Amino acid sequence: MKRKTYIYRRFERFWHWNQALLILFLALTGFEIHSSYSLFGYQRAVVMHNVAAWALLVLIVFAIFWHFVTGEWKQYIPTTKYIKAQVEYYITGIFKGAPHPTNKTVYDKFNPLQRLIYLGLKLFVIPVQVATGFIYLFYIYPDNPAHSFDLTNVATIHTLGAFMLLSFVIAHVYLTTTGETPFSSIKAMITGWEVVDVDENEERIKHLHKAVEDSVAGYYRLDKEGKITDVNDAWLKMYRCKDKNNIIGKHFSVTRDEKHIADLENLVKRVLSGETITGMPVVRKCFDGSTGKHILSANPVVENGEIAGVEGFVLDIDEKEGLSDHVYYTVRNSAAGYYRLDEKGNLADVNDAWLKYYKYDSKDEVLGKHFSVTREGEELKKLQDIFDKVMSGETVTGVISERKCKDGTTGRHILSANPITVGNKIVGMEGFILDITELESDM
Amino acid sequence: MLTVKESQQRFIRLLLFFIVITLPWIAGGIYIHNNYNIPESGNVRLVNYRVDTVPKVDHSKFKILQQKFETPQQVTEACLSCHNKTDHEVMATSHWKWTRPYVTEDGDTIELGKKNIINNFCIGVSSNEPLCTSCHAGYGWKNKNFDFSISKNIDCIVCHDQTGTYKKFPGKAGLPVDKKTVFNGKTFLPPDYNKIATNVGMPKRQNCGSCHYTGGGGNNVKHGDLELALNKTNRKVDVHMGIDGANMSCVECHKTNEHKISGKLYTVSSQNKDRVSCEQCHTPAPHNSSILNSHTDRVACQTCHIPEYAKVNPTKMYWDWSTAGKRNPDGSLIVKKDSLGHLKYHSKKGTFVYETNVKPEYVWFNGKARHYLIGEKIDTSEVLALNRLQGSYADNSSKIIPVKVHRGKQIYDAVNRYLIVPHLFGKDSTAFWKNFDWDKAARTGMASIGLPYSGKYSFISTEMYWPVNHMVAPREESLSCIECHSRNSRLSAINDFYLPGRDYNSYLDLAGKLMILLSLIGVAIHATLRIVKSN
Repeated sequence: MKRKTYIYRRFERFWHWNQALLILFLALTGFEIHSSYSLFGYQRAVVMHNVAAWALLVLIVFAIFWHFVTGEWKQYIPTTKYIKAQVEYYITGIFKGAPHPTNKTVYDKFNPLQRLIYLGLKLFVIPVQVATGFIYLFYIYPDNPAHSFDLTNVATIHTLGAFMLLSFVIAHVYLTTTGETPFSSIKAMITGWEVVDVDENEERIKHLHKAVEDSVAGYYRLDKEGKITDVNDAWLKMYRCKDKNNIIGKHFSVTRDEKHIADLENLVKRVLSGETITGMPVVRKCFDGSTGKHILSANPVVENGEIAGVEGFVLDIDEKEGLSDHVYYTVRNSAAGYYRLDEKGNLADVNDAWLKYYKYDSKDEVLGKHFSVTREGEELKKLQDIFDKVMSGETVTGVISERKCKDGTTGRHILSANPITVGNKIVGMEGFILDITELESDM
Repeated sequence: MLTVKESQQRFIRLLLFFIVITLPWIAGGIYIHNNYNIPESGNVRLVNYRVDTVPKVDHSKFKILQQKFETPQQVTEACLSCHNKTDHEVMATSHWKWTRPYVTEDGDTIELGKKNIINNFCIGVSSNEPLCTSCHAGYGWKNKNFDFSISKNIDCIVCHDQTGTYKKFPGKAGLPVDKKTVFNGKTFLPPDYNKIATNVGMPKRQNCGSCHYTGGGGNNVKHGDLELALNKTNRKVDVHMGIDGANMSCVECHKTNEHKISGKLYTVSSQNKDRVSCEQCHTPAPHNSSILNSHTDRVACQTCHIPEYAKVNPTKMYWDWSTAGKRNPDGSLIVKKDSLGHLKYHSKKGTFVYETNVKPEYVWFNGKARHYLIGEKIDTSEVLALNRLQGSYADNSSKIIPVKVHRGKQIYDAVNRYLIVPHLFGKDSTAFWKNFDWDKAARTGMASIGLPYSGKYSFISTEMYWPVNHMVAPREESLSCIECHSRNSRLSAINDFYLPGRDYNSYLDLAGKLMILLSLIGVAIHATLRIVKSN
């Protein structure tokens, strides 16, 4: 899947273009100093070459800092994987209109050839140019009485580096035309935005993470001893807790009144032994002493192959009509389903639980399809309303919906929905669903 | 689709980005413009410069100078009657002794100088004294028996005469004529000693120039950068001596203490002592540009600031003695001149080449010279350097200096393999300029220096190095970078180091150009294939 993505950040573009200009300018003045032609006049060329060398050095220092701070240096870790494929692509595939053998994503911007070449430039050619340049400039200068060897080798290496950089520039500029369109890569380096592949896994983790943060579904995580290690804002709101620090590190028992503690202890014990609990209606004790009802899911947290805790979601059902206490206690459903829609209302992502509710076998059957395939009649109108609200910035919680499954049957779930924002722009909607079908039929 | 507002925002963002990229370049440009203003501008900065003055004394008031002088020695005695220690000062100088201490390769210190050195002009003083010593600051050095301890033989007035009328006569061992004499079309009158003795002062250009302009028997023959035209010249010829320039006299740079005049020429001297340098007034860092200043450690000022010498009159570049002695069938002397009127051949002297506006050659120089010593064995298979200037890139005290190289062919003993000092001048039958017999001239000459002569002579190519120090050009005419930093560098002969702009690795340059060409061709082919295949 491809999407227009912000791939080159501001400093990266500033660094790239200034480095490009400086390298070209250094070549222009450098080859005049080499007597390949005369352009500015020798003295002026020397002065400008020296000043540009200093400028490049400063830029490189900033770039090194940037690469380490942002972690972008990892993009240059070389790999032999697909390198043959990449070479074959440039030699034959490109003429047959074959697709690029590797995907370009935000997290993997460079193909294996680029990684290798750029790393070679960064670790070898440019450092050698800088080192020989400064030896040239300071050590072997007429007024340095300390220097003990001749300029010949330094100058020869420096010239060799210049030829290599120039050849690189030629190939580099040409290869930018092999992107989506001939100028898309150059445009991307100017604006920062490019249509690139989306890394499904990374995207999912990022979105889930963000969904959890922003969601109206409350998220919690307990360690093995039952102490609360993390909650999100929605959880805090539901429990009327103002400060996250008041709850982190406390035992889960503070979240129940006396008569419900035993149930929760039992539940945690089951999950720690490997069970997954879905859609269990429970009564919480809030921090102001009041009580509330919600549906809870819980699954074991697995770290290094061992169960290290419990995590799950809670969806508030306090105000929901038609659901008696009895109903909640008899609910049997699966884990919380997650979905994500793009700005057009097409399904961008769903999780396995979602697929199970909707009785699909694989994501491929639904991704890219409009959400209207999940509803019928009035329910579709209702969902359209929710989508419109969310796309205008609202957050929706605890709506009971009747879904249309793949096989035409229906089911009921509680749904939350919140907008996905990139910058200031709403680019989609995402949320969780908790199934209540069985609960209904029991009723 | 983008809304108008969005596209405006995008445009502004790109504009900002463009400005952020161009700003450092504008800043860099301004920095270069402000800090490296080319060409150099501003006034010449000087340190330690002052004109020596001596107390003004009206010599015409001294009774002793009002006597009627018969001989120049009487004048000297009169001078010394007041300046009664000055004779010892003068007699310690090389102007009197024509030698300086010279350390040989064995570590011995010997007295070496004009007196006993061999050059490739008129070759050697010995046996030719009366002619050569017409430029001695003394009287009567006729032969090797001259007594250097008699102070009345000092010639005070050749240096101190302010009338411009005092002239030593060629061939009279430093003495002027005592009666009206016509020589080579010039009339020499006996000096009016009384007038001269009462008109003495600090040496002027003319005093120094009376010998230093005309060494080698004619104007500008030897030095190339010192000649009669400098008596009255402009700053284009010499910024220091030009009337419209600094209008300086010789002794304003050649500072003098107890009659020891600083500065010397390595054709006759050898030690790194008592030198005159540009830096003494101009400092080692006289330029605005630090890049230029960093050159001064290894490049002498003269190298860039004397782009050429012999700017007015020609100087002799080549002298082949081996062709001398030919005469017309009638026995008369052959004299040939080139189209510019420069002497090309003379029966007495052989073949010459004169040149004007000569670009110097360049050598490393650390202030020491290695001279050919009388009697030293020579390697006849190569050109013999008579005064090899010492220095190299590896020697950090060496600088690149401009030199006039005077090349020639001169006589040597083919059996004993050393240079011959021929007896050229004299009224006797063995003088070459009387009888044109090399054998006789060699025999007499070698006898005068006490070395055996085998009777077999031949001619060997020799060269002499004349550092060029005068005729400093105005700033705007000094060498630009590319005179040296280019493929056809002025320094092409000094190839013991890598000079940017001049030197390159030809294989690397070829490979580099090929690499770039192949990249371009590869790109062109690839692009063409892509276009063709996509259609």
